[in-house]
This record gives sequence, C-alpha cells and structure tokens, in this order.
Amino acid sequence: MKDDINKQRKDTGPGSLRIGVYVCHCGKNIGGTVRCEEVAEHAEGLPGVVVAKDSLYTCSEPGQEQIKSDIREHNLNRVVVASCTPRLHEPTFRAACQSAGLNPYLLEMANIREHCSWVHLHEKDAATEKAKELVEMAVGRAARLTPQIELTVPVTRKAMVIGGGVAGIQAALDMADAGYKVYLVERSGSIGGRMAQIDKTFPTMDCSICILAPKMSEVGRHPNIELLTLSEIQEVSGHIGNFRVKVLKRARYVTDECTSCGDCIEACPQLTPDEFEAGLSIRRAIYIPFAQAVPSKVLIDMDKCLNTQGIVACDRCFQACEHKCIDFADRDKVLDLEVGTIVVSTGVDVYDPTPLTELGYGKFPNVITTLEFERLINAGGPSGGELIRPSDRKRPRKVAFLQCIGSRSKRSNPYCSNVCCMNTIKDSLLIKEHWPETEIFVFYIDIRAFGKGFEDLFMRARREGVTFIRGVPGEIIEDIDTDNLTLLGENTLLGTHYRYSMDMVILSVGIRPREDSHVLQRLLNLSTDTDGFYMEAHPKLRPVDTTTGGVFLAGAAEGAKDIKDSVTQASAAASRANILMSRGEVTIPAITAKIDPDKCTACGVCAAVCPYHAIEGDKELGHYRVIEAACQGCGTCVPECRFGAIDQTHFTEEQIVSQIDLALSHEPQNKIIAFACNWCSYAGADFAGVSRIQYPANVRIIRTMCSGRVSPKWIERAFLKEVGAVLVSGCHPADCHYNNANRQTARRVERFWRRMEKLAINKERLRLAWVSAAEGAQFAHVIKEMEEGLRKLSPEKIRRDAERLKESLKKKSNQP
Amino acid sequence: MTTLRIWKFFSREDLYECYQCARCTGSCPAMEVAPAIGPRETILRCLNLGHQQVVEDERLWLCCTCHVCEDRCPQKIPITDLLVALRNSAARRGNIPDRLSMAIELLAKTGRSMIVHQLDEMRAHHGLAPLGPAPVEEIRDILEKTKLDEVVEF
Amino acid sequence: MEYALYLGCAIPIKYPGFEAATRLVCERLGIGLVDLPFSCCPPPSSMKLVHYDSWLALAARNLCLAEEAGLDLLTLCSGCVNTLKEANAILKRNDSRRRKVNRILEDHNHHFNGTIEVTHILDVLYQDSVVEKIIKESVREIPLRVASHYGCHYFRPPKYMYPTELSPAESYVPVQMDHLLSLVGVEPTEYSRKFLCCGYPLGSNMDQEAGYELTRQKLSYLRERHVQALSVICPSCFEQFDMGQVILARRSKEKHKLPVFYLTQLIGLAMGMSHKEVGLDVHRVKSKKLLEGRNIA
Repeated sequence: MKDDINKQRKDTGPGSLRIGVYVCHCGKNIGGTVRCEEVAEHAEGLPGVVVAKDSLYTCSEPGQEQIKSDIREHNLNRVVVASCTPRLHEPTFRAACQSAGLNPYLLEMANIREHCSWVHLHEKDAATEKAKELVEMAVGRAARLTPQIELTVPVTRKAMVIGGGVAGIQAALDMADAGYKVYLVERSGSIGGRMAQIDKTFPTMDCSICILAPKMSEVGRHPNIELLTLSEIQEVSGHIGNFRVKVLKRARYVTDECTSCGDCIEACPQLTPDEFEAGLSIRRAIYIPFAQAVPSKVLIDMDKCLNTQGIVACDRCFQACEHKCIDFADRDKVLDLEVGTIVVSTGVDVYDPTPLTELGYGKFPNVITTLEFERLINAGGPSGGELIRPSDRKRPRKVAFLQCIGSRSKRSNPYCSNVCCMNTIKDSLLIKEHWPETEIFVFYIDIRAFGKGFEDLFMRARREGVTFIRGVPGEIIEDIDTDNLTLLGENTLLGTHYRYSMDMVILSVGIRPREDSHVLQRLLNLSTDTDGFYMEAHPKLRPVDTTTGGVFLAGAAEGAKDIKDSVTQASAAASRANILMSRGEVTIPAITAKIDPDKCTACGVCAAVCPYHAIEGDKELGHYRVIEAACQGCGTCVPECRFGAIDQTHFTEEQIVSQIDLALSHEPQNKIIAFACNWCSYAGADFAGVSRIQYPANVRIIRTMCSGRVSPKWIERAFLKEVGAVLVSGCHPADCHYNNANRQTARRVERFWRRMEKLAINKERLRLAWVSAAEGAQFAHVIKEMEEGLRKLSPEKIRRDAERLKESLKKKSNQP
Repeated sequence: MTTLRIWKFFSREDLYECYQCARCTGSCPAMEVAPAIGPRETILRCLNLGHQQVVEDERLWLCCTCHVCEDRCPQKIPITDLLVALRNSAARRGNIPDRLSMAIELLAKTGRSMIVHQLDEMRAHHGLAPLGPAPVEEIRDILEKTKLDEVVEF
Repeated sequence: MEYALYLGCAIPIKYPGFEAATRLVCERLGIGLVDLPFSCCPPPSSMKLVHYDSWLALAARNLCLAEEAGLDLLTLCSGCVNTLKEANAILKRNDSRRRKVNRILEDHNHHFNGTIEVTHILDVLYQDSVVEKIIKESVREIPLRVASHYGCHYFRPPKYMYPTELSPAESYVPVQMDHLLSLVGVEPTEYSRKFLCCGYPLGSNMDQEAGYELTRQKLSYLRERHVQALSVICPSCFEQFDMGQVILARRSKEKHKLPVFYLTQLIGLAMGMSHKEVGLDVHRVKSKKLLEGRNIA
C-alpha cells in the first residue's frame, strides 16, 4: 500500500496531470437549469484536463463505469465530478476511483446542484457560468491534490445507549443480543419511558405496559446489559470507535438487596406529586417509580426526604426495612466508561398547555391533558381505571378532545406532533369500549391518519358514534355551579358558531424536544433541526446516523414519532452500531495537520489553539509535532503559524489559495467568496439548495472542515485580488464540531476588521455569520444582504481598497 | 378616487399561513351575537375569491375591534391589520356604515368625536373649568391633506 | 412626576366626573398634569378603520404636542391609549410613514421626533413609588367584591400595548387593576370571560342590539360570581355597562343593577373623597346605598 502511494505520488506530479471531468445532469435537477454540455465543453479546455464528459446520472452504475474505464483507458490521475454536494456522493465516487486503482484522495467534486442549479432555478445563463467557474475551481484544486492513506484505528466493542424508553430498550437489546456489551444509561429511577405511562397503543389497542414489561425485564437480566439508572452523561471525549464517557450515577440510598416489599414506603411521612402519574396522585419520598419498574427497587428522592445535607432527621424507612437495605451514606459516583458507539434515545417532553390561558388548563380542574387521561384510564392509575373528572370524581357523560394543542403553532411548536390524532382516536374508542353511552366530540383541524391500520381505526371511531367537528374552540368557559365546560368555536364545515357544554375536556397535547436536549447536543456535537430535534446525517439515506461518527439516533429524540417508528428506528440504530463493532476497526480520514520540523521555531502558538491537545513538543526538541491519532482535522492550528510550518492534509494552503485565485479570475469585484465549514454552514448552504431557496449567483463557496481553518491570509489574498466581499461562516458558538475551535474564527475575523478599519476599507465587505445545518434560509438571507451591500460599492472603490492593502503590506515587509 | 393597495398594509404571504383552524372565529364576540363573516372566513374568501369580493360585503363591519382573533391565532397572522386594510378599502368603495361615516364627519368638523348640550354647566357641577376649544382649523387642514374627503365628505 | 394629560373626547364631554376624580387623586399623589390643546385621538374603532392615514396623522399631532412640552402622555381611556401607543410605535419604527406624516404636520409647526412614551392612568398608578403613596394616602378600605374590566384596547394587541411583557404563547393577561384595588381593601373577583369585549364598538358602529347582547353576557358572568361592583378604565366600556344596564333592564325583569366605577373614583373614595367629589352622583346605576351600607360615601 505504502509503495502504491509512493508510485502514485511520482506518477501524479504537476507535470504529468491527466484530469477527467464528469458533469452530471442529475436528470433535470441540474440539467434543467445548467447547460451541462456547455460546462463539459468548457472543462475540456482547462489546463490538465484530458477528458470532459457530461452524463445523465454520473452516480449511476454506467456513470461510474465510465469514470473507471476512463481512468484505465486515458490513464487519468485526477477525477473531478461536478454534481451534487460532496456530503452525499463523495464516498460513492471515491470508491469508484479506488476500484479503478486511483487513490480516493485524488477525487474532487464541484457542487453544481445544491450550490448552483437549485438556488438559481430561473437564471439559466448565470447558473451555467457559475457551474463553469465552480468546475474551474475544482480542476485547479484537483491539480494540487496528493494521494493519501487513511489511518485505521480499532473500535471498542462496547456500546452506550442514552435514554431507557422503548427506543433505548430496543436498541440495547438488539446490540446485547448481537453479543456486545451495552451500558444503558437512564436518568430516572426506572426504564420504560413514555410508553410505560400510556394505557393502550394505536392502532391495535394493545395494552402498552403488557407488551413493554417483558422487554424491560429482559433488559434487567440480560448478561450483556449494564443498566445504569439515576444516571446522566457528564462528559464525552474521543471519537468514533473510541469514546470515553463520564457518567454521573446518582445515589439511590437503597442497596441492591432491596426486594421492593414496600415496607419502607408505608413508613415514609413525606409526600410529593407522583411524576409517573402525571401529578394526578402522590407518592412518598422513598418510592418505586411504578409497579413494573426495572430495576424493581425502591429509591429515595433526596430533594423530598427530610434527611438533607447528610443529617439523619428521620429514619422511619430504615427502621421499617427488615433487610437493612436503606443506606443514607450512599453517594453519587462518576463512572469512566469506554465505548465504541453511542445510541441517543432521550425521548421527548410533553407540551404544557398552561400558557394557552383561553383553554383554562391549570385553572379549570376538568380540563386535562392526554397524558393525564392515559393515567386516569389505566387500571394501574390513580383512579384504578375509572374515568372520573377531577372536580367531583364523577364519570363524565360528555367528553371533548381538542386536537393540535401545542402543535402546528407559532405560539408553541410549529410542527405536527404526529401521534396526537391517532392517540385521540384510540382514547375515544377506549371510552366507548368501557362506557358506550358516553358522548364524545373531537374538535380537530385535520385528522392525520397516515399509517398502517390508522384509517381503519378512524373509521371505527366514526362508526362507534364519536362526533368529529372541524374547528377547534377559541375559548373554554367553566360553569361556576357544575364545573362543566362550555366550548366556544366555529364549525368550519357548517360555517356556524357553536357552544357545546361538556363534562370534561381533554387537550391533545403535542410533544417537544427535551427541555435540556442542548446539553447532550453539545456533549456529542450533534446538530438540531429548526424544531429542536436532533438532526440526522441525511433525511432519507442516513436517517439514524448523526454528523458525529459513531453516534446514532433512535426514537422521538430525532423527531416526533409513535412507538412502532421508534422501535423500527432503534433497531436500525443498533444495526448501524453493530456494523461498526463487528468490523472492529474504523478508518480516520486523512485530513490531519502536519508540521514541517525544518520551518518550525517551536514557539508553541499552534499547540495553544488546538482543541484536542493533539500538538506536542517544546523548545528543547526544537520543534512541535502533531499526534495523528488525536488530531481531528479541524485545521485551526494552521492559520496560527507565522512561519508557514503547519499545513492540513487534503485542505492545504496551496489547494485553497488556488480555489480563491480561480474564483476571482473573472469579474472579482462582483464576487462573494464564502468560506463554509463542512458541518454547519456548508450543510446549511446545501439545505438552502434542497429547500430551493433562491439567492444571488455571484457567491463562490469554499469548503473547510472547520471555520477555524480559515486563514486571515486567505481573506487578505481575496481582497488583494479585488473580491467584492468575503463571508466566513461556521457553526453557532458552542455548537462547533471541534470543541469551540470557532472561537478562533471569531477572534481572527475581528482582528481583520480592525485592520480594515485602519485602512478605511468598508468593514461590511467581510462578514462573519453563524449558520447551522438547518438554516438554509439564513444562509440565503446573509448572501442576499451581502449582495445588496455589494451593489452600493463601485469597482473603482474596490480597486483603491486593494491598492491600500497592498501598500500596507509593502510597508510591513520593509520594516525590520 | 384611488383604490387602496391592501397588500401595503398586510403582507399577502401571511394569508397562506392560515390553515383554517378557526380559533379566531371561535373566539370572535361579534360572531356570537351578529351575522359577521368572522376572521377565518374573511381570510379564506381573500384567498379563494379575492379581496375585491370581501370588501363589497357589509358584514365586514360587524366587528368589535377587540383583537382577540389575532391574540389566539396559532400562526400569529396579524389579522387585525388585514381587517383594517379591508375596511379602509371598503370605505373607499362606499361600503361604510352610516353611523360610522356620521361619526367621522363630526370628528372632522369639530375635532372631537362627540358633542353635548350644556357642557360648561356639566363640567362646573364637577368643579371643572370649561373645556378649551378644539383646534378645528388645524384638524381640518390636516384631514384635507391626508385626503379624508376621498372617503367621507366633510 | 409630570404628564401631559390627554383627556380624549368622552371623558371631558360625557363623563367629567372621571376627570374630576383623576385630577383630585393625582394631586394627592403628587402627579403633575399639564393640559394641552389636543384633538380627538382618533379612535381605533372608527377613524382607523375608515382612513388609516388620517388616523395616523391626527394621532401624530397629539403626540407632537406632548413632545413639544417634553412630557410623556397620560391617557384615561383604553381607546385613546390604543391609538396613541400604536401610532407612537409605528411612527418611531417606520421611516416612510413618519416622513409622510411630518410633511403634513410641518405646515402647523409640528414635527414627530419620537421622544416621548404614551401611558395609561392604570399603569401610572401601578408604578412602585405611586403604589406606596396610594397606600399612605388611603384612609379607608373599600370592602366590596369588585370585578375588573380592562377594555380590549387597553392591552391588545400586546405587540404594541405591552411588547416587552409577552409570554411565550403571547397571550398578555393584565392584572394591574386587580392588584391596585386589593391595596385599597377591595376583594378583586375573577369571573368567566373576563377579557370579553363590552360590546361598545359593535354597538356604536353597526348593531346596537348585538352590542348589548355582549354586555348582557358579561353582566351575567359577573352576577354568577356575586360581584358587587365593576371597575373600568375606559369611558366607552363604562357607558356600555352603566347606560347598558338601564336599557337592558327595560326588557328583562332584572331589578338588581351593578354599580360601575371608573378606577380613580374608587381610589378617590379610599383616600376619603366624597361620593359627589369623585362624580358618582351622575352615574345611571346608583352606588350611594351600596357605599353608605359600608360607611363609605
């Protein structure tokens, strides 16, 4: 392998360039806007290009075959594919190159779909010209690529599942059954999650806990699963295959010998609302979360126990326990665990409708939520399964369900919560099953019965006499004598205003991301979508992967979904994790930093900015060096070196400068150069494309792994070349995929602004913008604003600014 | 007489945000006691039939201007801005309730929206000085310049 | 503490008693009031619906007068505060509208600069320093079950009326009047549909009957809570409830009527002012007996 590389390095020197360019029509996706034949023709004339072709689908088997046969036939030593985003098909084309004997790092892609045809749909000429220039830039960079070998590291054959709801349970069991050790980390006292709280499931009306409990106990006794309840993730370090996770395991104050006989619970004098029962009943400070809890052991809620701060003021539970299992001296522990993969299945919170004051939740006792209803109708619940209304414990004769509470609304969650329609239909049938004479009204906007068996259930509810009224009430009034509720609203299908008197109102509340989901998001470098759910690596093709290698998503943490979808996704996530663990090793992209010991003066500035402490050395040694296995390839160290001693593999100074120069080879004054980090901003620009959000065609996006790689020298170079404006964009502060490396970005841009100020160059020509992967609209908005600013500048002014910058550099170099 | 450009007051795109949940009309007090169109149907009519048709309808004026529709709107559509724009446009076409045009005329002529007999005596009863004169000329001039006469003669 | 007193039309012309009570209360609290040659605000339920540009220009003129005096503008009516607060916000924010209005006002030597704020007597009284003084100046308690009616225009739309106090769901629920009244011994009483419209704008513009139907509903919700009096901060709401009860009583058999007070009348009573001093003698629904029964008159 090493020899191959050396041979290829020799064969592919600049003198002997043989580049093949492939312009993809992507059906009409690119071809409908960009004249691809013209682009290919243009590419043919570029230096080093020996073949240039356009094809309908380059990613198709014939498309790939074409590339492979050309590599062999024309002896190609570089391949440029102009098609969709490299975030989608770079692996495909790299594999194609490799199978034809070309090092995969000799492939370069020009993104002419997400960054061109889709965002300039109606500007065929401008899009075609832009595509040509993007291909020029790609060809220029390709000429400077060098072959690389990827480092292989072993994968720890252990997994961690965070969150013990049904998704976490399924994922843990699947991986454990495949033979891998699994740590299942659950924050509360028992696994089970939301599913344990629900009475029946839709559309089959199975008893929820009856089908969940066997899985829960299987987790409890599985030899490969280590269940960590009352536990939370504190710190995560490392990377795919080799994560180190610090888990805070809170004290249970009860030893493992507990038989959950309940004697201690009866003795406890402290009462508090029972979370599992949605606050409808009370529990003691020492308690079992619920009857089927796993582990089936009591625990003490120290916030409610009288024995705070280690002082034993009450020992009734201790006295009551025959086995002496109560241990007030128990303390929180921090566990240091090593795992190869992580599955995130943290679930969701339920929307709290209190802010919607017009509905009276929290004020009128007979207005309850669907979660409270689930507990009320559950045989194990506070009313023993009797449907009673809270105000007088009488059975309601007329019940209303209100749909879309907290969903599809800019006042709460903008998205559809997916489960509420079917949940309500199921609930209405449950009432009909037990008390058929109950009148049930469902007030809805749209009934979304899209899944297998859903429409049948909807039909059944209508046949059973459930009344569906289109138009949700605007307001609820409580009758002072009867506690009945009057619903005011409009029946939109009849066009009439209604007033219905009801005994009980059930608000079909939506689900939302966990309130503290940002904590795990930062610990694991995950992205979130605009709704706050964790974002998948690709919405269609990598639906359970995240942008952090080795971390997978399962269940509603990724987006509102029902039990079946959660379980499906959990098995998918487990399967993805199993692949990694069974392979046992993983390759690390060859994008690490390299230090030239001859140029290095051992000043150590680079080591100070490295987010991973991956640079070591000292004055005595005479130079610093990069620890390759620890380097994550952000490139933040490179711009810090004043002596040009560091460079980043595959994102070299030379490669990127060539992209800048080529982007500015025609009409530079009219151009915007946008540096975009791979994880957020480049993905955000891709998302603008996917969403077809249109923006001006004069922007040229250059990808770096992290915005920390963006060197002030590049910005300077662009301004010397008379660029119109420069955008530096990266992840939002604290969302950086490289441990806050983007703080260096901000610092460097600010310093450049000060230089611009001194030289009286309009500061607005350099913009810093944080754009996340979900913010396509924001990316387009920034470009539009910059374009507007650009239109106010004359080419003459831009030229004069460049002159002044040149002068200042001359002066600087003349100084001793 | 010039027609009013409704979409200068209210962005047309906001209409598309409406998914007809009817929380607005469900909360509307006018809808409870009078044959009003209601905000939901007003938006739907603008979308499906065009606002020209809406401004011809005198039921457009059955409204408390209480803004509760906007307050309850899950999509935060500035409904009351739309209703103001539609009524301004309706008034230009002569669709304006008599009581309202009379009130506007009085305001334009006197600078105040009401008059009573024996005002000074009434104020004196409460130990108050007579009310100073309203700046009638100035008001009239301002209202001429804003072209109120295109809608209500005064 | 000094304000430009914006009386509007209904208060000085129809209900000067509110003006008298307000002036007396402010004097006791050390709040200076300056009278300026204002015109009609003009109302959000009439001029704004008919001719927006005229509405904005007249409102701007009133705002300019207060600006010229260098004083914040104090209103006594929910309608006036709605117009003037909204117009003030729009003119401060929207350059082209401001330019257009200023071109018209220039001929009369006014220029809108956006230097003042608009407030309502309720918010002035609700300031911490004023609350302290109210407590100090109060000589007797008003031991009545009183419900508050704020008037829709006083707080809606919150995006103009209380832009900094929005809850995540953006349903602003005013509480100021209830809190203030509890300070003077009143038992603030909640009731159904507290924020339902009084019916005045519907009645005055289009359909008197429909307007009174809303008033009747409001009154029925008040009665079921055994409320003894209603407190308002707007002359239009007042008229709808005071006059409205007389008209509604002609049709229904309802004998018992609910006295309606303007907020400063109740505060004035607590400060020891007499029934007549605060102008209660001219209300259609009489309150004298109710007050005398509790040794307040």
